Amino acid sequence: MIRSRLFAVVPLVVALSAVSAPCASAQAPQADRSPVQERLNRVQADLFSATPHFTDDVAALKELLAENPKSVEAHVLLGLAYRGLGTQEMLAEAIAELRQAIEIDPGVVPARFYLAHIYLDMGRPARAKEELEAALEKAPGSPQFLASLGEAERQLKNPRKAAELIRQALQSDPSLLEGRYYLGLALFDLGQTTDAMKELEQVVSANAGRPEAYLALGTVYNQASRFDDAIRVLSQGTKLDPSRADLRIQLARAYRSKGLLERAEAELIRAQPKPDATLAASYVEHQQLEFDLYVELGLVKMKRGQLAAAADAFKKALAMDPAHGLTNNYIAQIYLRQGQFKLASEHAARAAKAGAPLSENDRKLIDAGLAAKKPGVRE
Amino acid sequence: MTRLTRLAAVACVLSPLLLSAQSRGNKPDARPLFVDVTAKSGITFVHKSGASPDKFMVETFGSGLAWIDYDNDGFPDLYFVNGAPGAPNALYHNNKDGTFADVTERAGVAANGGGKEGAAAKTYKTGVAVGDYDNDGYLDIYVTAFGPNILFHNNGDGTFSDVTAKAGVAGGANEWSTSTGFFDYDRDGRLDLYVVNYLDYRLDENPYCGLKKEGYRMYCHPTQFDGMADRLFHNNGDGTFTDVSKQAGIANPAGKGLGVTFCDYDRDGDTDIYVANDTVRNFLYRNNGDGTFTDVAYAAGVGFDSNGKPQAGMGVDCGDIDGNGYPDIFVTNFSEELNALYQNRGDGTFEDVSATTGMGAAFLPLGFGTKLYDFDNDGDLDIHITNGHVIDNVKLYQSNLTYAQKDLLFENVGGKFRDATAAGGPALQAERIGRGLAVADFDNDGNLDVAISSLGQRPVLLRNQGARSANWITIRAKGKKSNTFGLGAIVKIQTPEGLQIRELNNVSSYLSASDVRLHAGLGAARTIQQIEITWPSGTRQVLKDVPVNHILVVEEPSEQP
Repeated sequence: MIRSRLFAVVPLVVALSAVSAPCASAQAPQADRSPVQERLNRVQADLFSATPHFTDDVAALKELLAENPKSVEAHVLLGLAYRGLGTQEMLAEAIAELRQAIEIDPGVVPARFYLAHIYLDMGRPARAKEELEAALEKAPGSPQFLASLGEAERQLKNPRKAAELIRQALQSDPSLLEGRYYLGLALFDLGQTTDAMKELEQVVSANAGRPEAYLALGTVYNQASRFDDAIRVLSQGTKLDPSRADLRIQLARAYRSKGLLERAEAELIRAQPKPDATLAASYVEHQQLEFDLYVELGLVKMKRGQLAAAADAFKKALAMDPAHGLTNNYIAQIYLRQGQFKLASEHAARAAKAGAPLSENDRKLIDAGLAAKKPGVRE
Repeated sequence: MTRLTRLAAVACVLSPLLLSAQSRGNKPDARPLFVDVTAKSGITFVHKSGASPDKFMVETFGSGLAWIDYDNDGFPDLYFVNGAPGAPNALYHNNKDGTFADVTERAGVAANGGGKEGAAAKTYKTGVAVGDYDNDGYLDIYVTAFGPNILFHNNGDGTFSDVTAKAGVAGGANEWSTSTGFFDYDRDGRLDLYVVNYLDYRLDENPYCGLKKEGYRMYCHPTQFDGMADRLFHNNGDGTFTDVSKQAGIANPAGKGLGVTFCDYDRDGDTDIYVANDTVRNFLYRNNGDGTFTDVAYAAGVGFDSNGKPQAGMGVDCGDIDGNGYPDIFVTNFSEELNALYQNRGDGTFEDVSATTGMGAAFLPLGFGTKLYDFDNDGDLDIHITNGHVIDNVKLYQSNLTYAQKDLLFENVGGKFRDATAAGGPALQAERIGRGLAVADFDNDGNLDVAISSLGQRPVLLRNQGARSANWITIRAKGKKSNTFGLGAIVKIQTPEGLQIRELNNVSSYLSASDVRLHAGLGAARTIQQIEITWPSGTRQVLKDVPVNHILVVEEPSEQP
């Protein structure tokens, strides 16, 4: 299942909200020209602009809330602004502001929508579903809400229901790029790779500037062994957001599959997490990314015949997830090639236990190596 | 003998003994300030955290303790909350000789369901509040939990009754309640109840956090869960309470509250609420005087750190640190965050002075329980913090951090702070997984002593040996129109050394309750020119030429003098 990285969807949500505007505008009556409302409108316009100034918006909204702590609109916008800052430390605050808005006015549909998107990014689809269902009660048939609910269902591992909901949304609004993106993901989960590609290609060709779409399409291309297309799309994605390690890992995968190992390695070096990403609290978010990186690095090194370096990379991945089947499989192959049969045997057993057994031939070689007990073999 | 005269008699008996403190020499004191007297005291309670391989978050947040003179003998007794389901709380009676006796069984306050199946046997117990909610002159106990909370009514004969169901204060069956406290927000003379809630957390939805490597599973970050609205229970005066959280305006589901304290920050005559939240902004609920509150944290500047970022608030206290007459707010935070000190400007706003008051030593430790109190009786409020990380295996992730940590003691020097931990003695050098902290002068010697709860360990009782040259006064308020212990009263103490403005408030720190008596250090002052008490009822009372170094029992006058 393709899973967007944390914080990555904000521009998507905001941009699409600006296009379809089912939400924020409902809270900002244009006729209201009071000074407070004008300030709110200014902040809102900035938040939904192509180049929002989140820090300034936060400051302006805090001032507004100091004057009126119960301003629902200010709480919603502040939640969005915090989200836009894109840092982990403000994530909880974004949720807090949106929940407070809902507490003050349970009918404030935009807050539920944005809250649901944060939950989706956090991998909490059940909570996202709750919010979206509540939002749909207030705004039945809203294409954006239906599409997002579809994504929640997809994350809840109901891709069939997801596709159904998203298609319903797209029927109402065929131009809903967010819906096409989600539909692409749902179809990919359903194994309908070609159809997934078509949907995601539409999103990418719309030039909406969303790295997520490039990542998703690149991943699907990789899966379909269309490595040239993957390299093209993922390279475009890295230009949009050079800091995205997940894009670079997928790009490295495409390069490796093409045999362009130096380029693959170069992408992985660029994808290395910053040292400050190793703080305890950040492990939750970054672990999967680091894991993917080390596995990919191991595979590249393996293909280059640098067995010690490959083993080192796989060890780092296994330090995060010792029972991971495929990684145990890979490292067992390395140990086999190095003649370290005991280690190979141990990791082969773990790989088999996790459902990723070595080939029968490799297993036989390990057994033979163990039986021979060659003198001088380093274990 | 009536309860009143009995108390007065205690005060009279104590006074000559205590006055002798006055005649002590003025030489510099080389003795350690605090001595660990836990073993000597006979307290054998051991906290059980319920720690499991599943790393349920509630296991690491610990439980609190409370000083409660449950039998009104003038000596504060100690109540310990236990954590793990089925583990009993413990009440220790103060024998007045430095030792304590376990009276839990007779008192009926174990709160573990009596070892039988049932809700009480399944809950993780957390915090505790002490107050006389029915104004019968005896302090009652409220215990919070991850699960239903419990109200114990003090029967006045050394026993308590569980009156939770009748009172209607259990809270939600699945709520994770933390700190709590009694206060009279509507000034009707009856103590209401505030209950802080932390996370919307369920044991059956316990994600794996940390590295998937043996020994590396860690307690999850609160960001992974939603907050939960606090509760405010209005005292109906008939033994029952009504949940008024929503109409009062304190039911903000964004809150991830761990600490609470009460003070009248704007000096408008009613008690306000400050809630320390974990990873989201803190709340300052201004009492509107009409039964409702407004969260003014944004306007007051007490929601975030000086960079506008929310911190991981744990424990909290308020008090006038700089002597300008307005209560400042102190919040303990996560490791690698400064503890927050918000200085009250007196105009409804605060200035974050955390970085400039000399408490840099608190940057690395993770602060929990805290109390502003005058440990050296020099007339200003010092700060005590007990520390301990929340991630038991934190060292595997960050080698510079430890689970168990040392306390920190800061001495107030003209509104700035000096690290006085070393002078506190070896007892403060011991590492513990500090959680709750509460103060009381348990031996009535004129020095505030400290009790600290430690996660999964024995608590610690630190006897304050005192600064020899300093004088003091302890005030035991007896409300008539106001609540019986005068909680919420504002006390102005005028001596030749200056004016101190303090509030009678036993609610602060983390999961804990301090003594209901007000203790004030007086420094070198040998007389108190005037004590002015503004009772919660609004009654103003003035006492002239009060002697120092004794426990002063003050009754609220029936009518305005």
